[in-house]
Amino acid sequence: MKRNESAEAPERFEYLQTLVTEFQDTDSEEAKEQVLANLANFAYDPKNMEYLRELQVPDLFLDMLTEENENFVEFGMGGLCNLSMDPGCRDIILENDGISLITNHLSNRREETVLSAVTTLMNLTTPATCSQITEPGIVQCMLRFSLAESPRLRNLASVFLQDCCSQEQVRQAELQMQGVQTAIGIPLPE
Amino acid sequence: MAVPVNNSSGCWKVPDVHKHHEQQKVCISRPKYREGRRAKAVKVYTINLESRFLMVLGVPAIGVMTELVQLCALYGVVEEYRPLDEYPAEEFTEVYLIKFQKLTSARAAKRNMDEKSFYGGVLHVCYVPEYETVEDTRLKLQDRRGYVMRAARSRAKAAHSEGSASSTTASDINVRHDQTSKKECAEDASNHSQHAEFPPLPLPPWEQHPFGHNSPHGISAQEDKMGTLHDAIINLKQPQVEKLSVNQASERDHDTEHRLTSDQASAFRFLPRSSHLEIRKRRMEEAPEQSASVSGGTETLIGPKLPEPPKLDMNDDSLNTTASLIRNTMKQVGSAPGFKAVEKKTKPRRRI
Repeated sequence: MKRNESAEAPERFEYLQTLVTEFQDTDSEEAKEQVLANLANFAYDPKNMEYLRELQVPDLFLDMLTEENENFVEFGMGGLCNLSMDPGCRDIILENDGISLITNHLSNRREETVLSAVTTLMNLTTPATCSQITEPGIVQCMLRFSLAESPRLRNLASVFLQDCCSQEQVRQAELQMQGVQTAIGIPLPE
Repeated sequence: MAVPVNNSSGCWKVPDVHKHHEQQKVCISRPKYREGRRAKAVKVYTINLESRFLMVLGVPAIGVMTELVQLCALYGVVEEYRPLDEYPAEEFTEVYLIKFQKLTSARAAKRNMDEKSFYGGVLHVCYVPEYETVEDTRLKLQDRRGYVMRAARSRAKAAHSEGSASSTTASDINVRHDQTSKKECAEDASNHSQHAEFPPLPLPPWEQHPFGHNSPHGISAQEDKMGTLHDAIINLKQPQVEKLSVNQASERDHDTEHRLTSDQASAFRFLPRSSHLEIRKRRMEEAPEQSASVSGGTETLIGPKLPEPPKLDMNDDSLNTTASLIRNTMKQVGSAPGFKAVEKKTKPRRRI
C-alpha cells in the first residue's frame, strides 16, 4: 500500500525509537535479540539511515561487538554491515574506533559474523582508512580466508584482496604466510 | 528462456548443506506492537545472505520442473536452472537451483514463493550465495553500494533544497563521496543500467487507451514491523521494463487493485465507442429514408412538413459533433439541386 512518505516519516521514527527504548529498558535477553535483529534489518533500507543515526543506533551496534552473547555480536555486526554502506553512518562508525572493534571479530567462530565483518571493513575503506584496513595482519587474515572451505568467505576475501589491497601488499602477506608455514614445518629435535 | 545448465561451470558442484539454508523456528514471543504480518524467525539479512541464486526445496517429484521455472520467471528473467539431485531432500520431493538475472528478481521470488503451496507440496525457498563466483559477489556488493549511495545523495539533495540544517551534511556527504569513490563513480555510472532494483509494473493494455501513457508508480519500500524488506518492493525509475516480471506482492497488489478500481470506475462511465457507432449507424440508416421522404416532398409540398429528425444526444461531445456534421451534410446533399432521391428503379420487364 502506497503511503504518503511525509505522513509516514514521524511514525517510522517513533516506531524505531520505541524499539531502541525497549532494547535499553528490557531485561529479557530474548527481547533484546529480537529488537536488535529488527533494527539491523531496518538498517538494510537506506530510507531509515537518517532516523537510525539520530537514534544513535550505529553506536548501539558497535557496543554489541563487546558483548558476550554471540547473537548480540552477530546481529550487531549484521547491522553495521547494513549501515556502513551509508556514508553518514560509515563516518560515525569510523569516529568510534569501528575498525579495531570489527577486526577483533575476524576470528569469530560464527560464519555470519565473520562475513559481516569482512563486508563492513570493505565498506569502511576510504583513502583515509585504507592503510589501517590493509595492515599486514588483516591482509594475511584475508589471504587465509581466500583459501577457506566456505565459498562465501572465499569470495568475499578475494574481493577484499583484489579491490582494497595493492598487489604488493598481497605479495608481502603471502611471503609472510609462507615464512610462518616453513617455521611450523621444521621438525622438533628428538 | 533459460536453458538447463551443463556441469562444466565450477559453481555447479555437489552442494553442502549450510546453516543459512535451514528454516529456523518461528519466533512466538514477540510483543504485539512489533509482530509482523507473518510469523518469522529472528534473523538478520545482509547483502551477504542475499543472492540471485535461489534454492527451492519441497517441489513435489511429479515432473513439474517446467511449471516451477515458469513460476519463477514471473518474478524476473531466469538465467539458469537445474535440479539438485545431490542435495538432501524430503521423500517424494525435489530440490532445484534457480539463477536469476537480477538479485531483486530473486528477492521477489523468495518473498512470494517461500512457504507457498505448489502442486500439493509446500515450497521452501532460500538464497544460496555459495553458488556465486567471485565476480558475482563483487557485482552484488557494487550494485548494493551504488544503490545506497544514490539514495543517500538524493536524500541529501532533498534536504539541501529544503534549506534545512542538513545542508552541511549534504556537502560533507558530497565531499566524502568525491574523495572515496573515483572508482565507485565510474562503477556507479556503469552500474546504473544494471542497477538491481525492481522495474515498474506495466499497466494492462486496456487501461492505456483511455488513460494515456504508462505512469511509473512511485511505490516506496515498506518494511514490516520487524524491518524485513522481504515483504516490500523498492521501485525503480529505470526505463527498462521486463515484460515477464509481474510482481505479486501484497502491497503492490493493493496498490494495483486500487488503481484498477479507480480506472474501472471511470471506464464504466465511458461507454465503448462501438455501441455508440452502432447507434449512429442505425440512425443513419433511418435518416436517409426520412430525408428521402422529405426531399421528395419539397418539390411539391402537400400536407404538413414532416418533423425534423430528432437530434440525438450521444452523451459524448465528439460523437455529437460527428453526428451533427453528418446531419448537416445530409441536409446539404438533400437540398442540392438535381438531387434525386435514391429510388430503386425497377426496369419494366420486356415481354417477349
